[in-house]
Amino acid sequence: MSNDLNLRRVRGNNEAEAPVQTRANTIVKEADHATPLELSNITIRYGGGKNGSDAVSVVDGFDLTLSAGEMHCVAGRSGSGKTSILTVGAGLTLPTSGRVLWEGDSLETMSDDEIADRRRALIGYVDQGGALIDGMSALENVLLPAVPDGEVEQRREMAKDLLDLVGLGRRMRHRPEQLSGGERQRVAIARALILGTRVLVVDEPTASLDRASANRIISILKDTTSDGIAVLVASHDHELVRLSDTLTELI
Amino acid sequence: MNAVQRFIRSKVLLLTAAILIFAMCLSVLVQTQSQAALNRTVDQNSRGLYDILVQAKAGSDGSLMQPEIATGQGGVSFDQLQKIRDLSGTSVAAPISLVSRVTQNLETPRLEAMDYLGFNAGLVGTATAGQPGGTDPSKWPEAQSVLSDTPKKYRLTASATSSDGSSQHTLFKSTAEGSLGKGKLVEQQVEGGNSIQIAGPEGETGIKFPAPAGGSEHNLFNLTVALPMAPEVTESVVAVDPVSERALLGTAGDFLAPLEKAPPADARSAEAVGQHLESLFTTGIGMQELEEGPDFLGVKLKYWAPIMTQYQQAKRNGQLTEDSQAIPLIVRSGTSLDLKYSVKIEEIDESGNVVKEVGTAERSLDKDYLPFVSKSPFALSWPGSTDYSKLLGNSANFSRGLYSPATWSTNFASAPKYSDGSTAGNGAEDKTATAGEWVTVNRLPEKSANGEAVDQTQRNPVDERAYRENLETGKKLATPLAMVYGTFDPAAVQEAAGDVNRLPLGGYDPTPMTLIKDAQGKDVADTALKPSLSATGLVSQSAGAITDYYGLAAARGYEKNASVIDAVRVRASAAGSWKQVQPEVDKLAAEIRDMGLEATVVAGSAREDANIFVPGYSKDDAGKESALGTVQQSWVRQNAADAVAGSLTATNLTLLFLTLCGAALLTGASTVSYVRLRRSEAGTLRAMGWTQRRIRSWVLEEFAVGAGLLAVAGIVLSLLSWNVATAIVSASVLALYLGAAFFAAQQLRHREVVDQEPQHDEKLIAVDSPLTFANRQLSTHRFNAISLAVAVGVFGSAVGGLIALLIDIPRAAGASALSGLAAASVALPSIVLGLSGVAVGLLLTLVTGRFELKAKRRYLGTLQAMGWNPDMLGQVRFFENALVGAVAVPLGILGALGIGLVLAPYAALWAAVAGLVAVLCWIPIATKVVK
Repeated sequence: MSNDLNLRRVRGNNEAEAPVQTRANTIVKEADHATPLELSNITIRYGGGKNGSDAVSVVDGFDLTLSAGEMHCVAGRSGSGKTSILTVGAGLTLPTSGRVLWEGDSLETMSDDEIADRRRALIGYVDQGGALIDGMSALENVLLPAVPDGEVEQRREMAKDLLDLVGLGRRMRHRPEQLSGGERQRVAIARALILGTRVLVVDEPTASLDRASANRIISILKDTTSDGIAVLVASHDHELVRLSDTLTELI
Repeated sequence: MNAVQRFIRSKVLLLTAAILIFAMCLSVLVQTQSQAALNRTVDQNSRGLYDILVQAKAGSDGSLMQPEIATGQGGVSFDQLQKIRDLSGTSVAAPISLVSRVTQNLETPRLEAMDYLGFNAGLVGTATAGQPGGTDPSKWPEAQSVLSDTPKKYRLTASATSSDGSSQHTLFKSTAEGSLGKGKLVEQQVEGGNSIQIAGPEGETGIKFPAPAGGSEHNLFNLTVALPMAPEVTESVVAVDPVSERALLGTAGDFLAPLEKAPPADARSAEAVGQHLESLFTTGIGMQELEEGPDFLGVKLKYWAPIMTQYQQAKRNGQLTEDSQAIPLIVRSGTSLDLKYSVKIEEIDESGNVVKEVGTAERSLDKDYLPFVSKSPFALSWPGSTDYSKLLGNSANFSRGLYSPATWSTNFASAPKYSDGSTAGNGAEDKTATAGEWVTVNRLPEKSANGEAVDQTQRNPVDERAYRENLETGKKLATPLAMVYGTFDPAAVQEAAGDVNRLPLGGYDPTPMTLIKDAQGKDVADTALKPSLSATGLVSQSAGAITDYYGLAAARGYEKNASVIDAVRVRASAAGSWKQVQPEVDKLAAEIRDMGLEATVVAGSAREDANIFVPGYSKDDAGKESALGTVQQSWVRQNAADAVAGSLTATNLTLLFLTLCGAALLTGASTVSYVRLRRSEAGTLRAMGWTQRRIRSWVLEEFAVGAGLLAVAGIVLSLLSWNVATAIVSASVLALYLGAAFFAAQQLRHREVVDQEPQHDEKLIAVDSPLTFANRQLSTHRFNAISLAVAVGVFGSAVGGLIALLIDIPRAAGASALSGLAAASVALPSIVLGLSGVAVGLLLTLVTGRFELKAKRRYLGTLQAMGWNPDMLGQVRFFENALVGAVAVPLGILGALGIGLVLAPYAALWAAVAGLVAVLCWIPIATKVVK
């Protein structure tokens, strides 16, 4: 994988579908920085022996500046490093080299606790498949991020609103095993938004979904951007790629 | 891919089969080894000196026998003894009886102050032949004395103390004063020449204690001060048949050989024996013969001096009659009686004030003490003295021994009586000693050896509690004389009797007692109780002497063929281990019982500590009695071999069973793990069109490979060990495995998942903290959580069981010495099995912990992505394990308690504590591991 060809910015895109009516703006915090997420010269390598000769370079020299209200799509074939970029951007893993800046602050200087606290305030991460917690209803899943701050009760109405927002107002007492894949994804998105997230990091949200469900997810994501939330999404869904403001295609 | 390949690919199945085979091999082999070691130990230690104890009536109505069984009451006749010997199954029948109590005065002690005047012509004629130094003036040291040329005034304070090990008692303290100085040779003109005499310096008053002490005098080497008489010591004598006793004791009984040469009953006239010894000295006796002992009917009488002295005194006092007999004795060397004699020496002025402490001379009765005879004079040495009397040669054989004949009494002390107390879980019994009359010791004789009256004011008699009955039997006797034929070492006899199954030998070898609790029941440092001056006290001395049955008749006055035998110890002629000879020993015992005698089978017995409360041990000046406390004494547990073998065999089988239970649980857990791993594969196969039946065959084929391996292992093990237990265990394990296989096949059936409408139970505790989150996860994955909790409980139980084994296998096996020994022989295998149980428990926690490890990783990752910080994630892990632990704690405690109660009841509570600790320790460890 050569350094100069592994990624390229294809285009900017201001086209969008008609916005879904949303009340999400009621919970969005005032952005205090114009660039909530910035990735600078990111390199990600896995494996390797003592001398690193066997290391696999997944991402090399990746740059990204994500502005508030912008939806950026990272596309590419399987194994091209899309999820790796997302987990690095969400602070879940550290890059081999390069800098990750959250609202201008580098993660390098932060402790694990500081990263966790900042992530809670800044980043909403939606895993591939939704990753809901078994045994807990959709509503409880949405409220889980509020547990560390002891704000479960305060955010209960908000959570219901968010589930309404993603179209699951009548399914909020269902457990993950009783929800479809698309519904789980929507619950995960609601959960990611519960704390007034400014950056939504979403991994393959429409994979293995039927077109209608996928469109519903895409619509929700697009709407969040209108509330000033930046969205970093990994996908090879053509519709999602088409509607994103900016795109990086990994080769 | 065929079944074998699939079996190998399926690590869970492979692991399960491997664990089962390992558990099967380990359990069976260890258990077999353990059982063999147990049987070997029991067999080797179950036959002592003899197999059957015969008495006229049972000495004990329980299975715990008092060690001292000779009562002095007799009851078995010589005819009965002969009939026992004539039985075909009898190898040795050795009778034993208590003879009498004998009170003897120690010879008058003396204080020797070095006052050697140097070589002089007067000594030449008395020098020992063959010792040139004796006649060579240049080899003799210069004159030496610890006394001054002019007399000085001294105060001597003589005292005797005794201790029973628990408290010390002053028996008397007597003081005498006077002046002593360096002696001198005084040459006097006598008819026919000069005479050299030894005299004290001018102005010396000498020192004289009250009668019977004779005062001080100067001699060739020392100034000798006669001291107050030492307290009387009462001994007991037992009678045995020397030939059968030697057959019983083996080489340890060789000391009895001289008794076999003792004269017959009609040749024991005390007068004839005394006259014979006197004639030896009248006709002359060589020095070598004197040192070896004069020959008396083929026996060298080394200790001839005491009997000759006694003979002369008895004759002079008119005590000797035609009925007086010389009783041949083998006397014990040394004594366990703690009696210390000391003399404090002070230099004083005319007013009696102390000018200087000269020092204290001490001497105790110890290994030098021989009853009925003095091995060496009971002399105490003035500080700074050297004994030069050796310059005249070895004079030890000339020791006169006792000054007066010992007092023989037909009152003799039978074994103490005890009443039963409580019995512990492992059979250990408590007893209470039965206090008897008070006896008076520390008395002085009415007359001294020279017939003078004794000043009785110098000593207060002391009362000692009797715990033995005085039995008046036989007729009034003429004074017998003790004729010492040799000595014996009681330790050697005890060693011959063995340790583990030491059997009752009566007064021959009393078993020591150890004080363990005071009168208030508080623990005290273990203190060995020593015998007192009285033979009727709680603790008696080893028999002072042993005689034959003619000696018994002479001392006790029995008529011919009277039933004088207290007990007969019978060894069966059958050879081999206890198990092998048990039927023949039982048959022999039955034949003896048919004679109307009590026959107690003591083969298969073992010594066992009995706790004995001792009331009324002492009294104060007001006469108020107080208890001693609790003492421990080794008694004899009958049928200990069978009890120990049964108990430890049960322990072995229980351990085997528990290990297999653990393997069963592990198999269950592994099977569940297998089912979960293969469920999606089964779904795929179903989607490909496989029928349920085919899928089940597909699963069972894989299990069949493991079952085949288990069957082969079981057959090999059964053939190698060739016992039914192995075959049963192998078959059980195989059945267990096959059961798991059918369960797995059943579980892989297709089950329709019904999408139930809601839904969420609002009664559930809301998730608002790591604790409630952990609680929700555990209740969601209830099966996994319970499985894990059971596994942790099993782990805790196994740890508790192991601790119980480590602490208390010996006591669990019973209270006897054999149980301790047998338990020690199986300790290692038992601990190996216990450790296997712990390993199985640990493995079980790992297998069941993996049930939800994947899910746990996933949701912990999700929580991390939501911004839960590491501390909170740690709390989630901790609370999950703590909640599992909360369920496991009662399981662990109850399991450990149950295993403890089965294996080692005394350590059951410790097992429960260990189970609790193990579970509590698992919580943080598991929290760390999950991270």
